[in-house]
Amino acid sequence: MTMTTGGALSQVSVGDAQVEMFSGGSGPPLLFLHGAGGNSGWQGYHEELSKSYTVYVPSQAGFNGTERPDWLYTINDLAHFNLELVQALGLDQYILMGSSMGGWVAAEMAAMGAPGMKSLVLVDAAGIKPEQGEIAEIFMVSSDTRLKQRFYDPTQVPNYDQVTREMTPDEQVIDHGNREMASRLCWKPYLHNPSLPHYLRKVSIPTLIVWGRQDAIIPLECGTMYEKSISNSNLKVIDNCGHSPAVERPQEFLDAVNDFLSN
Amino acid sequence: MVEVFWFSEQPYGHVQEEDLAPYESGRMHFPNTNFDPEKAHVLYNNYHNQYALADEVGFDGIMSNEHHSAYWCMKPSVNVDAAVIAKVTKRAKIAMLGNVIAVNDPVKMAEEIAMLDCISGGRIISGFVRGTAVETLHAGISPTENRDRFEEAHDLIVKCWTDPGPFRWEGRYFPHRMVNPWVRPMQKPHPSVWFPGTGSPESVIWAAKHQYPYMNLGSLLDLTKQLKGIYFETAQEVGFEPGPEHFGYLMRCLVADTDEKAQEIGRTFLWTEAHRNRGPVEFNDPPGYQSREALRIKMSRPLIGTGTMGKRMSYEDLQDAHNIVVGSPETVIEKLRYVKKDLDPGYILIYGNEGNMAHEDVMRSIELLGTKVIPALKDD
Repeated sequence: MTMTTGGALSQVSVGDAQVEMFSGGSGPPLLFLHGAGGNSGWQGYHEELSKSYTVYVPSQAGFNGTERPDWLYTINDLAHFNLELVQALGLDQYILMGSSMGGWVAAEMAAMGAPGMKSLVLVDAAGIKPEQGEIAEIFMVSSDTRLKQRFYDPTQVPNYDQVTREMTPDEQVIDHGNREMASRLCWKPYLHNPSLPHYLRKVSIPTLIVWGRQDAIIPLECGTMYEKSISNSNLKVIDNCGHSPAVERPQEFLDAVNDFLSN
Repeated sequence: MVEVFWFSEQPYGHVQEEDLAPYESGRMHFPNTNFDPEKAHVLYNNYHNQYALADEVGFDGIMSNEHHSAYWCMKPSVNVDAAVIAKVTKRAKIAMLGNVIAVNDPVKMAEEIAMLDCISGGRIISGFVRGTAVETLHAGISPTENRDRFEEAHDLIVKCWTDPGPFRWEGRYFPHRMVNPWVRPMQKPHPSVWFPGTGSPESVIWAAKHQYPYMNLGSLLDLTKQLKGIYFETAQEVGFEPGPEHFGYLMRCLVADTDEKAQEIGRTFLWTEAHRNRGPVEFNDPPGYQSREALRIKMSRPLIGTGTMGKRMSYEDLQDAHNIVVGSPETVIEKLRYVKKDLDPGYILIYGNEGNMAHEDVMRSIELLGTKVIPALKDD
């Protein structure tokens, strides 16, 4: 767990819930949805994106400092909740970007026909079951295994020591809660929604799909399936990269995103 | 007066340390290719003969349980084992500790337990358990759902037993629009419900709030007394006066003709102890399976039967702590009297065999328990 400085911390009311929110920058709005590990806070790539966009990084319901509303059990529930968050923030013509589980949530939101969503960026997104391979087990494995699954080559991860440093007791409590929420949302069907590829036929906004070629958690095959399912989409594969391109190959990741958004 | 129950986990005793050592855990990772059905056939029948003898020699009851992905417990269904007990015994109570109701259809559970109660002539004590986390993982269910599913399943089972059908059940996890199980229990209003636990105060509080007897499964005496205290306090808060009949204690116990022989056989109680629950914390305490408070208490407790937390205890230390009791009838009577005085349990549950203990030795232990130890305890 790493938490870099920068990005203002605030609370946003969504129904009865208070959503913990990091935000910063200026320009068109960009909403970033974190993965199953929870919100790592304002990261270097958020800072870079905030040079051109107003970046919003919420802790999704049940993660970090955002309580789970008692009705929220599923990814579908979470997608509806996030659309209400979009309304609460007053976002229009916004870019929605999601990584891993957050990519799945983002795809569900797009399939709901969300008004005001201008474009979509899915990064090594969960949500679709591969036909050939498997999505790796992330819950019934040790923390060592989880770490090994995440990166293709740890030596190329900037600040790897920070990424893997021992958590403080408070961070351990947050991490435990995050994994609890992820278990609740993603257990069955495991990290996917069998209907999602069919929903995605409705999505027509420009979509970038970014994938680490060596993703050991969600295989590249899922990226190609997303590309097939969303008509106006392109898959950008980053070589020598695992499940977290923004962390493992930040420059290539930002280049891909900026290329897409500037066009 | 204390009642004494026989219990066997029905281990697959052919497994040894070296078989288990290469694997990341002793449960979900240990391949079932190590299981030989021919050997299991022999073992099952030995265990059933032990039940029959326990009934004959005067045990008040026989306890059973179930586990999954566990080489040390060949019982994936407590109801199947209870059906066997009902047929190989004549008078002993049958304490099922218990059905993992969170991961099974509660209506089917209610029917099966009612059927067992009818078959056995009303001898069933129906324990309900949350199970170890592995039971939930094995069932493919998110550990975060276990607690809520357990509560709902419990309420539906009791309703099946007590309310006339057909009725509708609009639960979150087990919705049924028509519930009308034909078979209903013989005991009225329904079989006694027991609730077992190890170190979780939440379990104790839940049991006390429902006025269900709490069975502690082999915690050390000090912790057990604390848990019993929590039960009694909660009982008073909810307005009933608990007695020994609300509390039982499971302990490992073996009797032989001499202390020396018992000491030698009893060492097998530590069979593959290092491996039986060994594995990542994600198997034993996955996030969401238990409350933070329960986890804190569990971490502070000396290690019994789990391989991942705390400091392990030696055979001798466990005997000093009265957690394992082995010896001649005289020695065992003295030690069980100590436990009885210390805990004042209404039920002593004898965990009576382990690993590859010889069937003949276990049968002799049952005989000595029934003919010498139990009468002495009842005379007190």
